Amino acid sequence: MINVNGLYHAYEKGGPFAVKNAAFKVEKGEIFGFLGPSGAGKSTTQGILTGLLPLQKGEVTVAGCDMKKPKREIFNKIGVSFEQSNVYGKLTARENLNFYSKLFDVNTVDAGTLLKLVGLDHVADKKAGEFSKGMKHRLTFVRSMLNKPELWFLDEPTTGLDPAIASQIKDIIKEENNKGTTVFLTTHNMFVADELCDRVAFIIDGEIKLIDSPRNLKLKYGEKMVSVEHNEDGKLVKEQLSLIIKEDQDRLKTIISRGNIEIMHTKEATLEEIFIKVTGRGLK
Amino acid sequence: MSKLWTTFLKDAKLSFNGLYFYIEIGLAFIFVAVMLFVVPENFESGQKINAFVNLDEPIKSQIEEQITSEDDSLLYDSRTALEDSLEKDRSAVGIEIKSNGSGEIIYDFVLQGYENDRIKSLLKSTVEGEFLSSIPGFESSVSYDVLEPDSQRLTDRANILPIYLTINVGLMGLFIIAAYIFLDKDEGVIKAYAVAPVKIWQYLAAKMLIMLLMGLITSIIPVLMLAGTDVNFLLLIVMVSSFNLFGSALGLFVSSFFDSMVKAMGGLYAAVMLMVLPSLSYFAPSFNPAWIKVFPSYPMMFAFRELLLKNGDTGYIWMQTVLFLILALLVFFAANLRFKKTLTV
Repeated sequence: MINVNGLYHAYEKGGPFAVKNAAFKVEKGEIFGFLGPSGAGKSTTQGILTGLLPLQKGEVTVAGCDMKKPKREIFNKIGVSFEQSNVYGKLTARENLNFYSKLFDVNTVDAGTLLKLVGLDHVADKKAGEFSKGMKHRLTFVRSMLNKPELWFLDEPTTGLDPAIASQIKDIIKEENNKGTTVFLTTHNMFVADELCDRVAFIIDGEIKLIDSPRNLKLKYGEKMVSVEHNEDGKLVKEQLSLIIKEDQDRLKTIISRGNIEIMHTKEATLEEIFIKVTGRGLK
Repeated sequence: MSKLWTTFLKDAKLSFNGLYFYIEIGLAFIFVAVMLFVVPENFESGQKINAFVNLDEPIKSQIEEQITSEDDSLLYDSRTALEDSLEKDRSAVGIEIKSNGSGEIIYDFVLQGYENDRIKSLLKSTVEGEFLSSIPGFESSVSYDVLEPDSQRLTDRANILPIYLTINVGLMGLFIIAAYIFLDKDEGVIKAYAVAPVKIWQYLAAKMLIMLLMGLITSIIPVLMLAGTDVNFLLLIVMVSSFNLFGSALGLFVSSFFDSMVKAMGGLYAAVMLMVLPSLSYFAPSFNPAWIKVFPSYPMMFAFRELLLKNGDTGYIWMQTVLFLILALLVFFAANLRFKKTLTV
C-alpha cells in the first residue's frame, strides 16, 4: 500500500534533513505505527505521504500513486486525520462533514452515521467553534472516514481525549482495519501503538532505527521475568523471578504448588522501554 | 465545476456567518451617507466679502446693488462697522471702495492676516472684475472659444465615486483575499481541503468569487444611490467583475510568496499604496506623468469615470474591461502555480 525508499526531506535548501534516507513498506490491511518523539520526523514523513509536502528526494508510492506527481484522485482512496483539529468553526458539525463529502468522487458515509459513531450526534447542528477540544478532535477524526478510505492516515488519534473516548476511537480503528482498511498510525503514545499496530517503526532525528512487530520486539528486548505476590506464613511477599535461571524456575514451581498466589504476571518490556533501549532517547 | 460551486457555497456561508461581510456592506452605506449629507454636490470656491462703499451717488448704489447680488457678500455703512464684522467672522475678508478725490476708484482690502500672496492677487482680480463690470460704460472685451462643445463634467460628489470604486473593487481584494487564505492556513482547514480530491485552483477561484460577490454588492449600492439609475448597470457589473477578479488574483499572487498575514502585510501595503498614486492624476489632471499610467488603478479610475458620464467613452471602458480580464487570468494562473507549491507548506 505504501512504498518508501531513500526518502529525504529538508525544510530549507541546504538545511538539515528532517527525514534522512527513510525506507519502509506498509502492506495492505496492516496497521503500521510510526513512532517517535516530537520533532523526530513523523509528521514530515506523513506530510510527504499525503501530498501536503513536496517529495524532494527518494521514491514514494501511496496506494499505487507516485507521490512525485500525485494525482488528486488518489484522495478518493485515502483518509487523513490530523493531530490538530482543523474544522470550520462557523459551520455546524453536520455542515462540516456534508461539505467535505461533496468533494469526493466516490460514495461517502452519511454525516449523521459518522457523528453517532463518535458520540457527536446530539450536537450535529451546533457550530463546531463551540465544541470542546476533544469534540473537535472527534469531528476531525470522523471526517477522515467520510470516503471509506482504503488507506487511513491517523496522526495522534487519541491525544487529548479522555480514556473512555480514546478507547472508543481505538475500537473504531480496529473495526475499520478488520474490514480491510490499511492504517498508517503516527504517534508518540506507545500504549496505543502496542495495542493497535501489527508493525511499528521507530524514528528519531529523521532516521528509522528499527521496524518490527511489537510482539517480536518484546521477545527480543524484553526480560523473561515473572512478578509474583503470594502469602507466606500470613505475610504478603513480592518476588521477581527469572524464567531462565534454574533456581528461580524451581522457586516459582514451589510457589505455584503451594497455591497461595495473589497476583502473578510476566514482566515483558513495554514498547517505550524498548524504544529507549534502541534509540537511547525517551519519547517526550 | 460542481466542486468549485460547493466550495464557493461553503465560503459564502462562512462569510455570511462572519462579521466582515456585514462590515463591508455597512461601510458602503456609510460612504453613501457621508457623500449625501456631508459632501456637497459641488465644492464652493467663493470667498465671503464684507464691503463698505464709500462713494457718492449714483455710482454708490450701482456698486452696492452689484455687491448684494452676491450670496456671500454683506454691506456695512462705515469702516469701523466693516472691521468689527471681520473680527466676528475670521473667514471673511473686507473691502472699502472709495474715491481718491480725482474720480479714480480705490479698492482698499481689509484682510485677516493669514492670506498669502496668491489669495491676495486672486481677490484683487476677482473683485476688480466683478465691480468693473458694474461700472457704467464698461464693456466686456472677453470672448470665449469652446474646444469641446459636448464636454461634460461630473459633479464633485459623483467625481469621488470612481476613486471609491477603484479602491473598493480593485484594491480591497488584495488585502481581504490574502486575509482569507491566511485565516484558512492558521485554522489548518487548508490542509483538510488539500487532502480531498479537489484542485488548488478550485479553492482559489472560490475565494475570488466571494470577493466578486462582495465587490458587486458594495459597488452597486453607492452607484445606485449617488449616481442614480441613468448609469449603465450591466456595464458596471462587467467592469466591476473584471477589475475585481484582477485585484483578487493579484492579492493571491502576492500572498503566495508569504506564509503569514504579518509577513505579507508589507508587500500588500506597498502594492495598495502604489495603486492609490494615480488618484493624484485623477484629481489634478495637470499632474499626469507617463509612469503613473502604468499602475492598473489609473485606467480603472478613468474607466469608472467614463461610465458615470452621460456620454462616456464605451470603447475605452470595454477595452479596459477585456484587458483586465485577460490580466486577471494570467495572474491567477501564476498564483495557482505558486500555491501548488506553497499552500500547505
